[in-house]
Amino acid sequence: MNKVTTINLNGNAYQLEESGFEALRSYLDSAAQRLEGNPDKDEIIADIECAIADKFRALLGPHKTVVVAAEVATIIAEMGPVQDPSGPAPDAQGAGAPGPGAQGGASAPGGASVPRRLYKIKDGAMIGGVCSGLAAFFGIDVSIVRILFAFLTIVWGFGLLLYILMLFLIPSAVTPAEKAAAFGGGPSTAEEFIRRAKEGYYEGMRTFHDKGAHREWKRRFKSEMRGWKTDFQREVRANRAEWAQNWSRYWAEHPQYHFGASFTVTLLEVFSLVVTLLCFYAVYSLFVHGSVFGAHLPGGIPLWLGIVGVVLLCKLVTSPAKAMRRAYRYGGGYGVGCAAVWDTFLGIGAVILALWFVGHNPAGVHDALHDAAAGLHRALDSIRDGWNKR
Amino acid sequence: MSINEKFTAIRKGLLEFLVLKIVSADKVYVADILKALSETEFSTQEGTLYPLLSKMRREELVDYEWKESEAGPPRKYYELTAKGREQLRETSEYWQRIVGTVKNLGE
Repeated sequence: MNKVTTINLNGNAYQLEESGFEALRSYLDSAAQRLEGNPDKDEIIADIECAIADKFRALLGPHKTVVVAAEVATIIAEMGPVQDPSGPAPDAQGAGAPGPGAQGGASAPGGASVPRRLYKIKDGAMIGGVCSGLAAFFGIDVSIVRILFAFLTIVWGFGLLLYILMLFLIPSAVTPAEKAAAFGGGPSTAEEFIRRAKEGYYEGMRTFHDKGAHREWKRRFKSEMRGWKTDFQREVRANRAEWAQNWSRYWAEHPQYHFGASFTVTLLEVFSLVVTLLCFYAVYSLFVHGSVFGAHLPGGIPLWLGIVGVVLLCKLVTSPAKAMRRAYRYGGGYGVGCAAVWDTFLGIGAVILALWFVGHNPAGVHDALHDAAAGLHRALDSIRDGWNKR
Repeated sequence: MSINEKFTAIRKGLLEFLVLKIVSADKVYVADILKALSETEFSTQEGTLYPLLSKMRREELVDYEWKESEAGPPRKYYELTAKGREQLRETSEYWQRIVGTVKNLGE
């Protein structure tokens, strides 16, 4: 089993075994060195890369996606050393071969100004180190990231998907240099993030230490970006057309509208919200006190199983309400008719009633809101304590 | 020192002449040139040919145009310029004189 590196040659991505990548890099490095001072240097390097990409493409197919180190070595031997026709013939190895010191020469040594990169950090990780890596990248406490993921998972199940995706996509920080880069320094604005993403994708850029070659890479990157942009815009247009169609259908079909439909939907929504909040409270109290509404978990059942049980129960209770809501929304639809007008009147009446209530009990409402905020703060504090104890 | 080694510098010097000859026959791309040379004493590699072609283009002996290929990205197809044809003619004449000299000397 060998680690694989993705490189960009001539606008296409190729996956190479890591040792193959190193060999290719030193080949291109020494080519760039030999062509130093040649006015066509950039073009020659681009041609060479193009030829290498051609050879890679000939090797790869639907069942072979990675170029192994031996194949890279064969291809480099086929290409032969790059010789400057106006310069002296390359002497037998030695002077031209770049030392290991040339690696990563573009990123500043020293360590203080290492650009921060997103890595998984295995030290102190609970699952895959994704949260630790994210926390280090954004410079926030790891507990916050974990709670955020847990929250996203409970509410939409989206967090779990995101986590799994990141687990596969983000590289692990293994070497000390990578670990340093994971924590890095400097600002972490969105722009910076994009810049780093570009850097990571365009590994090849580091191969060249001069401005001209760098510019060439940049030019290609930009043209590729333009390609993506048009693709993206086409997709957006298609989506918009689809949405427009959906909307017109939605407004066109109103088979039947029953008086009180909007109230039923609202009531169902309130019900779901209350149950969800109760669920949150139950999970919270399970976590902090180990009990739900005074009832302790039976012995032998671990906490996480209890939490999963509570969430499942919540989903079970809210599912009929969800189904009914859907039935109303997509079956009958909110129409514009007599019944809808009545609903609107009743709705306005309810709002006036609520305003009247708030107007006559300002102190009570104010206290309730105040208590809710304070309660939320207390809850967050105790969650943090609980986490730290663990 | 073998004959092969003794003639390294001469082969290198003649490569440009041969490339001019190959390109003069037809529009070709690098793989075609490599193939034409592969069976001869002048067999060479991309690492040598690309820099040479770039130099020749700078000297306005050849020019290229991008052409779509059936598989993969477009390729550079080279052809001779008027200056390149002139150079080829001169070089050919010169080469004939050399061959004549080599043949006649010491006879």
